[in-house]
Amino acid sequence: MSNLINFKIDGISVEAQKGETILNVARKNDIYIPTMCYISKTTPCASCRMCVVEAKGVDGFVLSCNTTPTQGIEITTNSSELNTQRINIMKLYDVNHPLECGVCDKSGECDLQNKTLEFNIERQNFSTRDLSREIKDWGLISFDPALCILCEKCVHICNEVIGDDAIEVIFGGYASTIIPKNSDVLDCTFCGECIAVCPVGALVSSNFKYSANVWELNRIPATCAHCSAGCPLEYESKNSGINGDDSIYRVKNNFEYTSLCGAGRFGFDFDNKDAGDETSFNKAIQALKEAKAIRFSSMITNEEAHILQLLKEKLNIKLFNEDARKFQEFMRAYSTISGKLHHSGSLDAIKQSDAAIVIGSRISTDNPAVRYALTTASKHNGAKIVYAHPMEDLLMQNTVTQFMKYEVGTEEGVIALLANAILQKADLSDSERAFFDDLDLGYLDAESNIGDEEIDEMMESFSRTKNRVLIIGNDLMAHSRSSNIAKLAALIEKYSDFSLVVVPKEVNTLGSSLICDLDKDEDISDVVGYNAKGDFIISFLSLANLAVASLNQQEGTFVNIDNRVLPTNVAVKFDGYTLNDVASTLGISATNTVAYTKELKKSSGFKEVEFDDLENFLSANGDDVRGYLLDEVSCKADGELEELDDLPEFNGTIIYNVNPVLQFNAQTNQAEQLESDTTLRGSAQFAAAARISDGDRVEINFGAKALIREFKLDSELKGTIALNPTFDDVIDAGRYRFEKSKIKRVVE
Amino acid sequence: MKNEQFNNRDVSNEYFMVDIQDYPTEPWDKFKRTLKRTFRIELFVGLWVVMREMIRFDIHTVSYPEEKMPIGPRYRAVHEMKRLWESDAERCIGCGLCEKICISNCIRMETKVDENSRKEVSEYTINLGRCIFCGYCAEVCPELAITHGGEYENASEQREHFVDYAAMLTPLDKMKAGAQQEFEGFGAITPHEDESVKKTPLSY
Repeated sequence: MSNLINFKIDGISVEAQKGETILNVARKNDIYIPTMCYISKTTPCASCRMCVVEAKGVDGFVLSCNTTPTQGIEITTNSSELNTQRINIMKLYDVNHPLECGVCDKSGECDLQNKTLEFNIERQNFSTRDLSREIKDWGLISFDPALCILCEKCVHICNEVIGDDAIEVIFGGYASTIIPKNSDVLDCTFCGECIAVCPVGALVSSNFKYSANVWELNRIPATCAHCSAGCPLEYESKNSGINGDDSIYRVKNNFEYTSLCGAGRFGFDFDNKDAGDETSFNKAIQALKEAKAIRFSSMITNEEAHILQLLKEKLNIKLFNEDARKFQEFMRAYSTISGKLHHSGSLDAIKQSDAAIVIGSRISTDNPAVRYALTTASKHNGAKIVYAHPMEDLLMQNTVTQFMKYEVGTEEGVIALLANAILQKADLSDSERAFFDDLDLGYLDAESNIGDEEIDEMMESFSRTKNRVLIIGNDLMAHSRSSNIAKLAALIEKYSDFSLVVVPKEVNTLGSSLICDLDKDEDISDVVGYNAKGDFIISFLSLANLAVASLNQQEGTFVNIDNRVLPTNVAVKFDGYTLNDVASTLGISATNTVAYTKELKKSSGFKEVEFDDLENFLSANGDDVRGYLLDEVSCKADGELEELDDLPEFNGTIIYNVNPVLQFNAQTNQAEQLESDTTLRGSAQFAAAARISDGDRVEINFGAKALIREFKLDSELKGTIALNPTFDDVIDAGRYRFEKSKIKRVVE
Repeated sequence: MKNEQFNNRDVSNEYFMVDIQDYPTEPWDKFKRTLKRTFRIELFVGLWVVMREMIRFDIHTVSYPEEKMPIGPRYRAVHEMKRLWESDAERCIGCGLCEKICISNCIRMETKVDENSRKEVSEYTINLGRCIFCGYCAEVCPELAITHGGEYENASEQREHFVDYAAMLTPLDKMKAGAQQEFEGFGAITPHEDESVKKTPLSY
């Protein structure tokens, strides 16, 4: 039987996929049905009743947003009855809506205003006594209940896409309003997605409030420069102050189809206010001529990484980037089994999955976009989500169906156990089968602390699922046995229906790893740092010897988690020198940095496309047409699995280097609105084991490093692992994130 | 009126040549022309008119700047920012429409949230050097806050000549004295507007 349903809307024959709603089919066919509460990425709120249509042979009206058509039915989207109904709805929305459009932050981008004018509401027949409603200050978000029209978009987004479930509607007739759930103040991850979806000016950014009108702002489509998800966003800039230069006022996103975390939305002011002068430029040239190596971070565009690679070849020096090198090593090992260069999964694959395993990542802070995709999968497909990690994450508790706790350091054993269970019936080669036959399951169970029954439970819950994803985090890439872990992951992808998503750490870890030939970092002298530590630092961060443009001040491309090459643009002017100027002086000249876009390494899958030919938008139906997807590159599959190493043991107090919500790196640390909480957070059990208490200043020792932090007791944490933030740039990139550590109290 | 007189572009028969004598070239001829021009009677005709009016003491010339002509109520000179009669509060709500509509881009404003969660103008300037005094800002203003005033003496040594919010705002003492003048030009309310205001009919 065909899955297509043929029916008519306003006399036009249309086709619907099975499960597609009338509204979606109408929109695809450019037939207009007005809505107030509908938002594509959530299930229909069905609170506005604007989308009503008439169906022939059906009494009364039908809600087009949540009704699927039947074969041959005839739908009418416009009639005088429908119009009266819609006009009445608009009149009800307009009851006592404050007439402050002149100062409202929506400044004309208002659904209520648009629809009121569209339906030509000339008189109001409804009235009720107004209530006194006070403006609520929820930190980064400000809520004006008087403006709220209770469309419930924010509640649905928060629950279904973000997963915070932090706000709810309190029903009470005309007194209904939005309140923080189970709390007096808003306690959430402050993604600000509720601000984005609010059709009126009820939920607004506290920082932006009343500071600019829409028409004054220039929109610059760009790509978020904070994590590897590469979310699309628009920087909006205008002159700051009467005589000031342009600066970014706020960030918006296409909320209909994409989401943005709080770091992207509120952490936009990381542009470099300094500009290098000629003396420091000449010093930089001199330093590079004498350099033995360049160390760089993955907060870099592909083009800049390409320039660094050219510099490496020209000057015959080394190139350090531990984070990208670890990723590169991991993916190379992966390729030796899978026979291809890029992992198969994507954020969309996660959104559409009905089963997912997350391993080796505190995903809610490492990559919020993956978290949102998992939330979407969980709420919309009822996905079974297994979260394997040594620490439970309360932010994931609404999403995760099974928490699989393993011991720190036993990642190799865990992935072997998973592969063994998943590939039980797979058609493996003899040597691969022999590898699994030789596994000492008892030993792995005991050391990793994952029982048989946990694996069985997982396999049981996955039994009827079709779209499965394995999501691999940074703990596995930075692990000393990462190459064998990569091979096991590749094996799962190759022989099962799991697609694989490897989560890169920084915004362009993936791109850097594809473009540069990286050397193992050595502690040598004469290192030039590019946005990283070195004897001479060229950087957009503070402490730079030569200031260069930061990622919202330059054109370029990133490669994101989906293996998509994404363009980003200049949001704020930069007057100083760029890496291209430096390279040009050293004989690698190009008119501008983006001239390299079409020269990026073809053998890694890059295409010969000019920067100016890259699109940066989502289509009206939500198709991602930004940039291009990397070409798949096949390579030799000649890898062999290695025998498992003894699983290491981590005892005593352990530090996990992971950032708090909304912080990723030194770049987000510069953003004014984002909270910079550098405390070491641990449970009461941790405090007892380390003999410290809340508020103590402690010295943390691991390796050759010592770090002073304030300790904060966190009642949401359990166990003897404490969380140590890394965004203030104190931990070397690419290090395994769990550390055995000595902690002692600093007495002052 | 008919357009015919404009449509007829053939003006050849209405032109005539002026009989101009050749300019003298010799020094003696030049000297003669100068003498003739200097002592002809026309000079004394003009002097006599001035003399006659002086004796009559009926002079119509305004002796600016000691004396100034009254300005019409709709005259569009340097802008003013008005206050509310009821509360003396500033009328401007910071909506930004004047900035948007200004065709010579001479208005710039900055707004922010004030302590009462209301929109407040933090900076406001008009570049009078650019302003063409078209009156759009006053016309578009929903609050009758920005209007034109009668102050036309804005000569400046520079092309850029800015006037800021504080300078335009009606001073409080003037307000207290009830001396704020309403603008009667573009955008002004019609006389007796109060009488036509109706209360919203409410069911409760």
